[in-house]
Amino acid sequence: MSSGNIYAMVDPEIFAAVQEQIEIDSQVKEDIREALKIIDKEVRLVTSILSRVHIVSPEHVIELTTTADEGFKRLRDGIQGLIDIVKDYPYYKYNGIWSRDIQNVAFLVLFQGWLQRSYAPGNAENSLMTIEEVGGVLGIPVNLKTEDRFHLTIEEYLHAVLGLVEELTRLTTNAVTQHDFLRPRMINRFIKDIHSSFQVLNLKNDSLRRRGDGLKYNVKKVEEVNYDLILRNLIPTGADEEGTEKKGDVKEDAKGPSEQQE
Amino acid sequence: MATAQRSREPHRPKNILAQELQNNPYLSMFNHFRDELDEHHDRRERVIKASRDITALSKKMIFTVQRAREPFSPLPTSLSKEYETRFKQIQNIISIISPDLQEISAYRYARQISGGIQEYIEAIAFHHYLTTGKLIPLSAVQQSVKSLIEITPGDYILGIFDLVGEMMRFSITMIATRGGAGKDEKVAKALRDLRELRLEFEGLDTALGGGSGLLGKEVQKKLGVMKACVEKVEAAVCGVIVRGSERPKGWIPDLTEAVRGGGSGRIDRIYEDE
Repeated sequence: MSSGNIYAMVDPEIFAAVQEQIEIDSQVKEDIREALKIIDKEVRLVTSILSRVHIVSPEHVIELTTTADEGFKRLRDGIQGLIDIVKDYPYYKYNGIWSRDIQNVAFLVLFQGWLQRSYAPGNAENSLMTIEEVGGVLGIPVNLKTEDRFHLTIEEYLHAVLGLVEELTRLTTNAVTQHDFLRPRMINRFIKDIHSSFQVLNLKNDSLRRRGDGLKYNVKKVEEVNYDLILRNLIPTGADEEGTEKKGDVKEDAKGPSEQQE
Repeated sequence: MATAQRSREPHRPKNILAQELQNNPYLSMFNHFRDELDEHHDRRERVIKASRDITALSKKMIFTVQRAREPFSPLPTSLSKEYETRFKQIQNIISIISPDLQEISAYRYARQISGGIQEYIEAIAFHHYLTTGKLIPLSAVQQSVKSLIEITPGDYILGIFDLVGEMMRFSITMIATRGGAGKDEKVAKALRDLRELRLEFEGLDTALGGGSGLLGKEVQKKLGVMKACVEKVEAAVCGVIVRGSERPKGWIPDLTEAVRGGGSGRIDRIYEDE
């Protein structure tokens, strides 16, 4: 009752400032989505090229993978375009928008790398590109912990690895259809290694955990194909041995396709 | 070989598993990932805990301020002391958690700390309002945490949304406990301020960016609650003006919401008086 001093409570500038922030924010998001459309288009293109591995015969796979190089170059440019948009903002402010797309791109890099290493004549080492190698191909840093810049996160890389496992599981079946009995064995070994590697991670109840839980089904599926092959003597003896003995076998096997290629 | 393959499937003998791990070319890389991810999860947990602690202390601060009877003037010493103690405790938590929220981590854990920060903004905004009669600006909130952590406009707006609820509770208590509310300047101011805030909020175009904008869907929910709060006070003031002269001593507007606020102790006492 005593108080006659009534101030206007709200300083309109506060809300105007916030409104401006909201507008900038929505503009940035729009720009990001535009940039992602370009990346997404290239992802589909490269995917359709690399997916042909399921239908071409083993000796043509290396050749096939190189035809994707143009696409990877455009993907690099696409990511650079995205970086130009977001480089002035905190990385984690918007990364949720493109995380899935970057996972897809990283998967394609891993897939191409795996195919090139695993179908190379005389080289049967199952090969997973490291996170640094993937970052190198895409021209982006990886796992930055203090520096606030665009990068490939460990989680994105691990999602891409799981994507690779899923793709290779499919390849196991299709390799058998091609009468390529070498790949199922390599994939079996590879997926088992990835499976046991994932078990050292302490995953929380997140998307990685849920997707990682599916690994055992991939292991099982590939194991079953291999078991059937072994049972019918379609895999040369000693094929399931670990270590050097296996490598020796594999080299012999790989000569077949390599000779045809030359 | 086939038998070895089969026997491995259901129960893998330990030694085979160990051997497998040894030959695994990716294991060292994954061990590194584990350490990195553990570090991230631990930090995340720390931030979540800090956020909860800040929330709890902020709620206590709000209860303290709700106990004030004279708005738009400094708090009585006892309440002020209580408020300052909580405030210092929050400052302390913020300074401890601040290293976990620097540089790239500031936004990485923004969602985890946001709840606590919103509650904190609500508390100091309510205190600021009841002592000065003004809305605390974002810059003052930022200053209060000494730039140890970043206060985003989003958190600020969401905190202020909740402030409306506290203003409503305080106004209802004020209407109930002060005589002559119909002509009371302070009640009039409180009502005016609530309406002004509502207008500002309604003017904000938060739907930009398709509902997933800066403030997300939370705003739509809070907007409804905020409107209801303003209307409760409007109804209460109207009720007092219409029936004010007839109301018995200690009459409380029929708004159970108000009882849930800090004033519940008081209201009990009023009933005892009758």
